[in-house]
Amino acid sequence: MSIPLVPSLLRAHLAELAAEDKRHDGRDRFEARDVELEINCLPRAEGSARVRMGDTIVLAGVKFQIMTPYPDRPNEGGLMCSAEVRPVAGRNWEAGPPSAESIELGRVVDRGIRESGCINTEDLCIIPGEKAWQVILDVFAISDDGNLFDAFGLAAIAALRSATVPAERFEVGEDMPLDVSKTPIMCSYHKVGGRFVYDADKREELGGDERIHITLGDDDHVHSLQKGLKGIFTAAEFAEINNEARSRCAELRDMVNNALEGE
Amino acid sequence: MGGYGDVQCIDENGIRLDGRTKDEVRPVHIETGVVPVADGSARMTWGLNDVIAAVYGPMEAHPRKIQRQDRAVLDVRYNMAPFSTTDRIRPGFNRRSREISKVTAEALESVVLTELYPRSKIRVEIEIICAEAGTRCAGITAASVALAHAGIPMTDMVVSVASGKVHDIVVCDLNKEEDNYGEADLPMGILPNTGELVFLQMDGDLSPEQFQEAWDYNMVAAKVIHEEMVRALKGGDE
Repeated sequence: MSIPLVPSLLRAHLAELAAEDKRHDGRDRFEARDVELEINCLPRAEGSARVRMGDTIVLAGVKFQIMTPYPDRPNEGGLMCSAEVRPVAGRNWEAGPPSAESIELGRVVDRGIRESGCINTEDLCIIPGEKAWQVILDVFAISDDGNLFDAFGLAAIAALRSATVPAERFEVGEDMPLDVSKTPIMCSYHKVGGRFVYDADKREELGGDERIHITLGDDDHVHSLQKGLKGIFTAAEFAEINNEARSRCAELRDMVNNALEGE
Repeated sequence: MGGYGDVQCIDENGIRLDGRTKDEVRPVHIETGVVPVADGSARMTWGLNDVIAAVYGPMEAHPRKIQRQDRAVLDVRYNMAPFSTTDRIRPGFNRRSREISKVTAEALESVVLTELYPRSKIRVEIEIICAEAGTRCAGITAASVALAHAGIPMTDMVVSVASGKVHDIVVCDLNKEEDNYGEADLPMGILPNTGELVFLQMDGDLSPEQFQEAWDYNMVAAKVIHEEMVRALKGGDE
């Protein structure tokens, strides 16, 4: 992503608002934009989700392939998570090989899901040493108005949890739901005007400083953390947002559970 | 799934696998404004095809070597999302999408009044979210609506549609099975107000009579699709 010139006016404006404990769109510090979650919305994917947070819109799709297990892990399949921000999503995203920003996004989302252990790769084995499932999770941005991380994270886990293993198409048994034992959820906080806010939009991202991404699993276990961009934060600041993340992750987890029950 | 030879795309009563007669168009729906951060955008569902087009610009053309002193350049990208087909598509460079991007740009450059924006660039992004058959046609059509939605001046919109032949019968608006197992595919880009063409491809085998029949089907289908494009731009479902 090419970094547009950030007018110092925008930074100054956001800082002035912060001094009065306000945000430019009228939200409270830890208030989210409206979230919409739709699952099984992509007919060619084996599991899928569409997430909208304000004007940020993303899609996630799950596909399966048959792989030969790695020789050192003959009883395991694989999970691959890839995130793409193509130029459709905003005027500053450019064509060409994935940018560092887009790779960071994919890897942070991947870590949250992988490290939570929500998918047991041994369950993906079909014939030890010969055949196993490779689960491929692709997350794709349609419109970037800030906080792609959380939208990607939410779409990713919702798509996985909605997935069906297409065993009949590959002639290796009967179709069955993919076993996903946990629901890791990411919450991101951006430093804007000297204090952390939740669910920053594009303006706050452009006029802000560092960001912190926290992925929590069921029972509030931490599964991935990432600090991005230039900036310094204190232990007290981290404790505050980590505490906020617990309640917000629980709300979003309920949202995923409700969407799946509605199916 | 059976072998190559035993897919019966049309039954003895002339009904196709998706229930259409040979001269029917798949259901088409278009909405605008689907990419809120873009200057113009459109989503087209056409059968199982689901295509999003977004337009950014006119904007500064960089690198400078792509600038044209007398007109804007159209920077068009056609891309299939990894989950848009039965077998996953690997992201990255691909000869097919390069070619489709090129012919799409040339079709759209034929109608956009590029001379109004010298030295600038208009970005047109076409993303195939779900593919059935005729994604290049859906892409060109959706991109036309997105350009109009962005307020880019054009002489006309381009309506693109592909008819073809399966089991020696000419059919309108090929679906996936007909595209896979059929004998010919004739995609055209039509200016609905004049009947002129800005895009034409063909592969397969058609007799002169069959070619004319497929051509005529495309012309009729373009009128149907054009009505939906206009409806979407005039407020659509609201």
